[in-house]
Amino acid sequence: MSAPVLTTPAPDAVVPGRPTVGQRLTSFMPVIALVVLLAALTVADPGFLTLSSLTAAVRTSAPLVVLAAGATLVVLCGGIDLSIAALCSLATVFFALWLPDLGGLTTFAIIAATGAIGALQGVAHVLFRIPSFIVTLGGMSIFSAIALVISDAGPVRVVDRDATNWLTLYVGGVVPMAFVVALVLVAAVSLVLRLTPLESWIRATGYSESAARLAGAPVDRVKIAAFTVSGACAGLAAVMLVSRNFSGSPTMADNLLLPAVAAIVVGGTAITGGHGSLWRSLAGALVVTLLRVGLPIVGVPSAYEQILYGAIIVAAVALTLDRSKVLIIK
Amino acid sequence: MTTNLQTQPDPRVPAPAPALEVRSLVKHYPGVKALDGVDLVVRQHEVLGLAGENGAGKSTLLKALVGLVRPDGGEIWVRGEKVRLRSVVDAADHGIGMVFQEQSLVPNLTAAENIVLGSEGPGVRRGIYRWSTMRRLAQEQLDKIGSHIDPLARTDTLTFADRQMVEIAKVLRIEERTSHPPVIILDEPTSVLESKEIETLFTQVRRLREFASVVFVSHRLDEVLDVCDRVAVLRGGRSVGEVPAADAAPADLHRMMIGSTGSDDHYHGGAGERPDEASRPRLVVRGLSGKSFRDVDLDVHAGEIVGIVGVHGSGREDVCRALFGAEPTTAGEVVLDGEKLDLSGTRAACAAGVGYVPAERKTEGMVGPMSVADNMTLTKQQSRCTGPLVRPRKQATLVDRWIERLSIRTPHRGTAIQSLSGGNQQKVVLARWLVAGDVRLLLLDHPTRGLDVGARSEVYRLMRELADSGVATVLLADSLEEAIGMSDRIIVMSDGRATTQVAAPAGGKPTPLDLVKEMV
Repeated sequence: MSAPVLTTPAPDAVVPGRPTVGQRLTSFMPVIALVVLLAALTVADPGFLTLSSLTAAVRTSAPLVVLAAGATLVVLCGGIDLSIAALCSLATVFFALWLPDLGGLTTFAIIAATGAIGALQGVAHVLFRIPSFIVTLGGMSIFSAIALVISDAGPVRVVDRDATNWLTLYVGGVVPMAFVVALVLVAAVSLVLRLTPLESWIRATGYSESAARLAGAPVDRVKIAAFTVSGACAGLAAVMLVSRNFSGSPTMADNLLLPAVAAIVVGGTAITGGHGSLWRSLAGALVVTLLRVGLPIVGVPSAYEQILYGAIIVAAVALTLDRSKVLIIK
Repeated sequence: MTTNLQTQPDPRVPAPAPALEVRSLVKHYPGVKALDGVDLVVRQHEVLGLAGENGAGKSTLLKALVGLVRPDGGEIWVRGEKVRLRSVVDAADHGIGMVFQEQSLVPNLTAAENIVLGSEGPGVRRGIYRWSTMRRLAQEQLDKIGSHIDPLARTDTLTFADRQMVEIAKVLRIEERTSHPPVIILDEPTSVLESKEIETLFTQVRRLREFASVVFVSHRLDEVLDVCDRVAVLRGGRSVGEVPAADAAPADLHRMMIGSTGSDDHYHGGAGERPDEASRPRLVVRGLSGKSFRDVDLDVHAGEIVGIVGVHGSGREDVCRALFGAEPTTAGEVVLDGEKLDLSGTRAACAAGVGYVPAERKTEGMVGPMSVADNMTLTKQQSRCTGPLVRPRKQATLVDRWIERLSIRTPHRGTAIQSLSGGNQQKVVLARWLVAGDVRLLLLDHPTRGLDVGARSEVYRLMRELADSGVATVLLADSLEEAIGMSDRIIVMSDGRATTQVAAPAGGKPTPLDLVKEMV
């Protein structure tokens, strides 16, 4: 006050504030939820916890993990991408159609094409200031229709299986390659975010877009990048689906949209933006997959399965969402 | 209701139970002791001032009084009865209501709807709004405070001062819930009011005293002394004393708040040396026009603080934003250090060495849930990076150095900025532009809004030191006095045009009256 601002040390001793146990716990909640669910399923049917059923579960989860991871970036920016599943379905059709011509390059072509489509949606959202919900809702409808037209509304068989064969391998004989790819994707994107200013920019954009803009963060470019990655992830997920089904189909991934959104929120990422991570979505996707795969295995009647699924999703979000990081819960 | 008004000063008559009493209230937050045993007595039918610097615990105390914060220890007594306040409704049931610093009215409802919102009573029957009853209820409330606002006016069409009257009318609805005179808390009611509106507000506060007790919180000590009967002072989460308003001067209060003698020398001091008039100005603005301003010319020299004053609607805020690329322009040219400034976006402005501190700190100035460190390095990412990669250790060293240099009180650099007090938040926001050491032009839009005396002094001193180091500053001050005290030169804006320029060197400052003549 009477001393010069730029030279005096802080009048109060600065005590380093470490995160409390409670705060640490909330960041592990998605993993805890996963473990609890696994334990519950095992209790319900001791035969569930076998290597083969776990392997089957993570193999099934791979496309969902990839879809959810990509869309998480958009959610972190405060938007939503509803087009991922439709884009993924479209990409399976593209894959089946392009494979005879492009051969081994098809995978890269698919990822590049879906990335470009994602970017286009991002540009439409940013440039014309249309809410991402609307842009991607429109995109969802458009992509579904295109997929139906170019596939003649039916599955397109993939004859050459060599291009996708590598995804069906097992690392070390047990871990499905598709799941390893999903893990590497999550790790790589998380690492890039952590090691560059991107994470700061994405969080700032998600928490408070106007503050981010006035701080000179490249808000528009960050958003477009998020949509691009989300689109590219839809392409990668499509390749995984094709490797399993040996065909492309205009509706192949359509039933993955809501599970992907569920995976994101079950992981504890705030749907309002800013707070969350790709790791959380990975855990969330595993929870969702375990529910999908596990409930029938342990003998829950299919009529009750949906009720239990819904109830567990809501309960899981109640557990995983760190409300102190979210300003408004809508 | 007002029977004890005359008897109260008489010491021989046993004093009635205080309207509200707080006994050694304690509240901890992680790393911060917000309240450390606060005692406070609010007598019936008195206006009690509450003074204290940012971080002294005022906000926490007020929140505890209306049930928004649960104290960790201590007691709250209402009229001689110990109470536990769990929610705003609980507090209202005990006759305690608060007018919040950030207004809490719903803008697209009418004044009447806002006044009865949440306590509709007979205004709603069988789930259906009864407009005539509601209007009558609202009118009764407005009559109580002698306001002439049309209850059917949409709230967003009212002036800020009128909205405040609506808030007061609304909070007085708690009288319905209790048979006793209520306690009304006014948190920073004057911080965005013009002086004439403040007078109206004070009239209201004095009127309120007749049927309620009032707790009045303001950073402007002269106001506190003007309107209050007694002032209690908090410092560092403790009560440090109270004074009858009649015998105290602002300087006395200030001394109690900061624990030593305050000095305001920086405030009325001018720049260390006058900028060389012959040298080329650092910032040259010619014919800048936009939606709410036309043909604005402006020169700012390196090391100079230029204040822009004007009434609400003069367009000065938009000029400031336009210079930062955050408000579209239609014509004009801006040159910074001989180079044309790109006004197309905020990013270009940042890269050119322009810094901007927005008036709305909470929504535009900072990203609340993010850490102090990340907020501080949000703009100048290069200051914590090597190439494209973030270096956490580099960031930690840099941020810790600025935390120390600016005396930012935070438990840790990783603490979320929203849990700091306003003054410390503002210092982090200012530091954002300084960490890279490349800022050439600072645009400060109400940089001291909502700050207390101590924090304000620090911001003033920081501004002066930055100017002395060669930064050109454009200041939109919180008050005319501030503009006059801090600026070397003052531009008066009126109706979107820069009309007059007044020199304000140290020792030759204009009076507020000189400026007001030009403003209207």
